[in-house]
Amino acid sequence: MFDSEQALNQSLHQFLHDYPLQVAPVSVDVPLISNQDIYMNIALIKQYHEDMPKRQAQRLAVEYLERVDLGQIAYKRNPALNPEERFCGMLLRAAMVKDAMILIDQPFKIIPHLKDIQFVTTALKKIDDLYLSCHIYDYQWMKEKYGEL
Amino acid sequence: MTLSREFKVGLFIGCTAIIIVLALLYLAAGKGVFENMHAFTLSSKSGDGFTEGMPVVFSGFNIGKVQSLELNDKGVVLIKIKIPDRHVKWIRSDSAFILYRPLIGSARIVVNTTNLNNPPLDEKKIPEVIIVNDINDAIARIEPALERVTQIADNVERLTSNLSDPKGDLHRILSNAGKITTNLASKKSLVEMVVSDEESVKALNESLKKLKDITTTVDRILTKVDKMADKTDSEIYGKDGALPQVNVILKDIVGKLQKLDKTIDNINKISSDTSEGTKDLHILRSDIDDTLKTVEDAVKKLDAIIGLKKVPEFKVP
Amino acid sequence: MMSFGENLGRRVIQMLTAFADTIVFAGKVFIRIFRRKTYSSAMREVLLNQIYFTSVQILPVFLMVSIIFGSLLIGIVFQLLKEFGLTGFFGHVLMGLIVTELSPLLTVLLITLRSAAAINTEMAVMKVNREIKTLEMFRIDVINYLLVPRVINGIISIVLLSSLCSIVLLVSGTLFSWLIFGMSIDVYKNILLNATNFSDILIALFKCAIYGFFITLIPIRFGLRASHEFTSIPIVVSQGMVNVFAAILIIEVLSLLTKLL
Repeated sequence: MFDSEQALNQSLHQFLHDYPLQVAPVSVDVPLISNQDIYMNIALIKQYHEDMPKRQAQRLAVEYLERVDLGQIAYKRNPALNPEERFCGMLLRAAMVKDAMILIDQPFKIIPHLKDIQFVTTALKKIDDLYLSCHIYDYQWMKEKYGEL
Repeated sequence: MTLSREFKVGLFIGCTAIIIVLALLYLAAGKGVFENMHAFTLSSKSGDGFTEGMPVVFSGFNIGKVQSLELNDKGVVLIKIKIPDRHVKWIRSDSAFILYRPLIGSARIVVNTTNLNNPPLDEKKIPEVIIVNDINDAIARIEPALERVTQIADNVERLTSNLSDPKGDLHRILSNAGKITTNLASKKSLVEMVVSDEESVKALNESLKKLKDITTTVDRILTKVDKMADKTDSEIYGKDGALPQVNVILKDIVGKLQKLDKTIDNINKISSDTSEGTKDLHILRSDIDDTLKTVEDAVKKLDAIIGLKKVPEFKVP
Repeated sequence: MMSFGENLGRRVIQMLTAFADTIVFAGKVFIRIFRRKTYSSAMREVLLNQIYFTSVQILPVFLMVSIIFGSLLIGIVFQLLKEFGLTGFFGHVLMGLIVTELSPLLTVLLITLRSAAAINTEMAVMKVNREIKTLEMFRIDVINYLLVPRVINGIISIVLLSSLCSIVLLVSGTLFSWLIFGMSIDVYKNILLNATNFSDILIALFKCAIYGFFITLIPIRFGLRASHEFTSIPIVVSQGMVNVFAAILIIEVLSLLTKLL
């Protein structure tokens, strides 16, 4: 939790600097690629970094989407998604990074209408085998929404 | 059944690549890349005008090319030519090899074989290449003559435009001179003659046909001159009138064509010296004779008409 | 007077710098083409999609344009040759002008209008949407993932489509030589073979490859110059397209110079 934008940004940059190969951002500033379907966005990371064959990577992406009960969005594109679906797409994409250290930057900026962090933690639990650690960065004044987390 | 994107792209690249390769192979095969080649060696006292890759031509068709040029110990230039298997039948023991260096187009070695039943040329035999240099001199002589003919044609045209008051018929008649101009301006075809192969001889024959057209036009002019005689005035028939000028011009044309005739004579001489392969030039010669005779007749006729009208018995209307 | 001189000098320096930058950038992309590491599964997918969109999708239209435009052009050229008595140059005009010059130019113009403009806009939109930044955040090399497949696609597409266009023109040439000159297929074939020069064909193919390289590289380069505002998109797209056409002219002039020398 940070008091100012400057402090938050500084900390984010530090994190990126410390774990350059593992950091997997989930942020409004790191959007999904709009001219690719969601499953392709997710598969892209495996295809690029691990040279995983296209079909295998895409099958995997669809499988993970189904795991978070979002199999129906696999063939949709970014503009067609609601904020929850968009968040899950971004989260799964981040989880595709090898030994991922997921960095969620202001989750309530991605899903503005969320009352609490419950949705985010549930999604994270469903894919907890896919990442090494998860770090959520937000402002101090959003503390209430996080409850006891 | 919907084809996958991968399949479509693969099909496109595969098919197009196959088509391109087949097209290239076809061209390569057509150009004799995969054919057995026969090498012949020719000799020449001078290497002037020979270049590597120069085509070897038989009856206007490329049948091979010069592969290399060498200078032997005796100072003789050895020209190695390569002829593919399918064309080697044109090279016989009596074949004459002539280096033609036309003014227009690239130089080539022309093969003339009179008897195709003769035995094939032994690859070890070294025939000498005949160099036809004089042909360029002939061109040089043709050039000024042609220039003058063109000048005359220009004069005819100027004459047409100078007649400000055409008085009907005369203007129409002289506008026919425009056609003469166009026909005489076929200078290019005449120049092509110096290429001395069959193709160019054809071009020259076409030019001669055009000259015949000129004669027809002149004839038509004369008929019309005859008809309009009653309507014209002394401005036209006077000393400086239009028709005497036409007469002078036409005489000039005949004069120049006769000069051209001499040049053709030269070419004839050269071709009979070098080979019998350019017999077409004789036909050409007779064509030119014919044309000259007809033009001359036409001029005589014009003279006669003008002679009749010289007496100023017609009054200005 | 002084300020005019300064402006002119500044412009020239800017132009030369931009030209040098483009060449350096082209060199960087060119080197990546030959690195095995570049060819990841993701890159291969982009390459496949690009070839599909640039060549396969356009193929029916392209063939139709080639047949209609090419046949008309070849008909007119043959007619002119006949009228001016230049029948002797028929083969050289067909191979030297139509096949090696006009067909690559026609192809490159069609592909530029369709694909180069699309690539330019796509890159600008990605930049504005911060999608380029996304790729960087996930350590995906923009040159390897976005540029190289598009550039390779440009090279493959122009070479293949231009060759197809040439073949279509040669086939329609058979028809027109028969209609206009009453020429048999055998004679046509002979004239064509005599006029064919393999070095000319190689130069034409090489020119197509160069065209393909630059008509994709330049739009990408200009697309990536967009700022984070949507209003910058039309600016970079128009700049990119103007530069692409300038590049086409420069390449054409250079290729003509190689023929003269």
